[in-house]
Amino acid sequence: MMTTETAKSDPGDWPTLLKDNARTGGQGQYRTRSPEGAVWQFRTGSSVRSAPVLEDGILYVASVSGVLHAIDAVTGRSKWKFQAAGQIHSTPSLSGDRILFGCDDGKVYSLDRHAGYRLWEAPSEAEVWASPAVRGGVVFFGSADARVYAVDATSGRTRWVQELGGRIYSTIYAAEQQLYLGCGDGKVYCLGSSSGKTLWSTSTGNGIDSSPALAGDLLLIGCEDFFLYAMNASTGEVRWKYETGLGIASSPAVSGDLTVIGSKDGFLYALETQTGRLRWKTAVGEVVTAPPVIGGGVVCIQAGGTFALDSATGKVVWRAALAGAVQSVPVLAGDTIYLASLSGEVYALR
Amino acid sequence: MDRRTFVKAGCIGSASLLVEGLDPMVRADAAPPIAPPVELHGLPGYKPSPLGMPGLFPGRVIEIRDPSVIVRNRVSQPVVSHMLEHAMKELTGEKSARAAWAKFVESRDIVGIKINPSGAPACCSSPEILREIIGSVQSIGVPARNILVYDRYSYEMDIGSYQALLPPGVRIVGIQDAFVDASGYDPNVYCAANFFGEWETRSYAASIVSQVVTKIINVPTMKDHSASGVTGCLKNLAYGTFNNVARSHRAPHSFTNPLIGLMCTVEPLRSKAVLHIMDGMRQVWHGGPLTQVQDFIDQPGILLVATDPVALDTIELEAIEKKRRERGSPSLWQHDPSTITTDNNEFFHDASKNLFFRQPGHIAAAGKLGLGVADLKQIDHRPLSA
Repeated sequence: MMTTETAKSDPGDWPTLLKDNARTGGQGQYRTRSPEGAVWQFRTGSSVRSAPVLEDGILYVASVSGVLHAIDAVTGRSKWKFQAAGQIHSTPSLSGDRILFGCDDGKVYSLDRHAGYRLWEAPSEAEVWASPAVRGGVVFFGSADARVYAVDATSGRTRWVQELGGRIYSTIYAAEQQLYLGCGDGKVYCLGSSSGKTLWSTSTGNGIDSSPALAGDLLLIGCEDFFLYAMNASTGEVRWKYETGLGIASSPAVSGDLTVIGSKDGFLYALETQTGRLRWKTAVGEVVTAPPVIGGGVVCIQAGGTFALDSATGKVVWRAALAGAVQSVPVLAGDTIYLASLSGEVYALR
Repeated sequence: MDRRTFVKAGCIGSASLLVEGLDPMVRADAAPPIAPPVELHGLPGYKPSPLGMPGLFPGRVIEIRDPSVIVRNRVSQPVVSHMLEHAMKELTGEKSARAAWAKFVESRDIVGIKINPSGAPACCSSPEILREIIGSVQSIGVPARNILVYDRYSYEMDIGSYQALLPPGVRIVGIQDAFVDASGYDPNVYCAANFFGEWETRSYAASIVSQVVTKIINVPTMKDHSASGVTGCLKNLAYGTFNNVARSHRAPHSFTNPLIGLMCTVEPLRSKAVLHIMDGMRQVWHGGPLTQVQDFIDQPGILLVATDPVALDTIELEAIEKKRRERGSPSLWQHDPSTITTDNNEFFHDASKNLFFRQPGHIAAAGKLGLGVADLKQIDHRPLSA
């Protein structure tokens, strides 16, 4: 189910990490069955520590060595690749004919997603691990230089820059008029999207690298202080918070009244979005840092291996030893599931 | 393919069969292998520093404890701040924290902070301690851009979320991205030895240590280690600076003794490592270094500070031995073949089992190399309450 916010978006918008609250990368919530085998395997040649994204039959995978790979989703063959000037830890975002990603050289790159040539690059002064968010023709991103940048999606020209109190690894949620993000200084910020001015900020107990989801008027975000927070999106007031066993670097995936998030304690937690009441928790690995993705009736997570859980009960439906990673997210695309691993392998499973 | 690569590629299959074909349980009953000679190649012409190990205060170890520093597994920034300041003043005899830090760091330094993220998230160098160290180094006039927090594996640092939790401007550096990535290592600084017939006999030092930083502040954690007995200052520096070190273990045997101490004598590592601050917020007494099993992780809330890594590790070893005695677990010194297991799961959940015959003697061996004081009677151990 999409939130009201997402429903208002323009087609070129990519307002949050993996485009929507369910972290599907815009794929929609397909019912997914247990895969029987690999259709193809692709080697990027270096680690992958971000999530792949899929559009129009092309799978985009960023490897840490700084190469963005465009892979034919049917054959597993390379269509093109682009070498950036630094390492890439940022999950790419798509907007119209563009693909955007952050780089350790401090830039956000915008490429033509069909041919892989550079359209523009927008500089910051430190590495960009967060994903660029796109809303209304503007690209928003945070940098480890403690600043939030708004740049024109067509030209890459800077519209405004806003300094915050800590490093930024949290991907912005770009609502119609507000931006929401977490910060290394331990605060959750709401900025005006036209000016960057701080509208409110709420302190937590430690730094934040989780990325928020916005469900109606509720902002959900994890924190290294072990809590998942639900805040009033208009005021920043904490409506509820739920304590896990260790810090949270994972980002919440939300579908209707189900919010799922991983914790470094190795569990995946499913809560009622409005109340924070626990529905289930399931141990999936020694540590969970990636966001889950909610498909039709299942929640998938990469936590060492890849797990699919029944979204109603939390029972493991299937698991695959493939794709040992704790930073990537599966792409659930109907009959096919795409996975990337820490060792740089990319798999299409069916 | 060059000749060396070809030879490696041609030999790896048969060599692996020969070496790996032995059941570790059979090797457990055999006589321990004898350590081969180790060649050390430091940076040519490097002039040793008087600040280098054992540093300005050989044999002195400050231990400060405050149970309120860690509550429900969360570390208190204000309490850590007070503890570190108190310990630094006691170590140096200075009246102010700034004067204490100025004994080790100058404004022109490029300061490397060597962390231990290998047990993240359950037990790794606490970001709260790192923030205090960074603030203290900045108080001497070192700009944030000249402070590097580093370790070997960047993916382990990611799990600890150091990137997000440390102050802006400080550089967070993983020396290597994956297991096979030698680009961050200096070909001129290495240790060479053939332990078990491996085809790559060299371990190279990180370029960040040999070429970039001018001082190192070492921030190990307080953990037992399945191969070396404990992992403390010496192990964190040696096996966190040189690559290709896993080859020194082949279950159930390990050459961490003498390799750890020998690596720490290599210049410029020895000279640059001027201060050791052990994070004892949490203490792993079984399953280290990677365990996530909370049954074997206590939260004593301790900081140990020294310039002498041997003395500090000796105190750590005593503390973990004591804890294991209290819990009815075998000594770290025990070499009983019946305690060896090849089952990782059994090892992680049974404190009477181990994967290797542990080598806590690596600490005393490092003492004999001149890196510090290993005799408990000669260690000036100063326990403090915050």
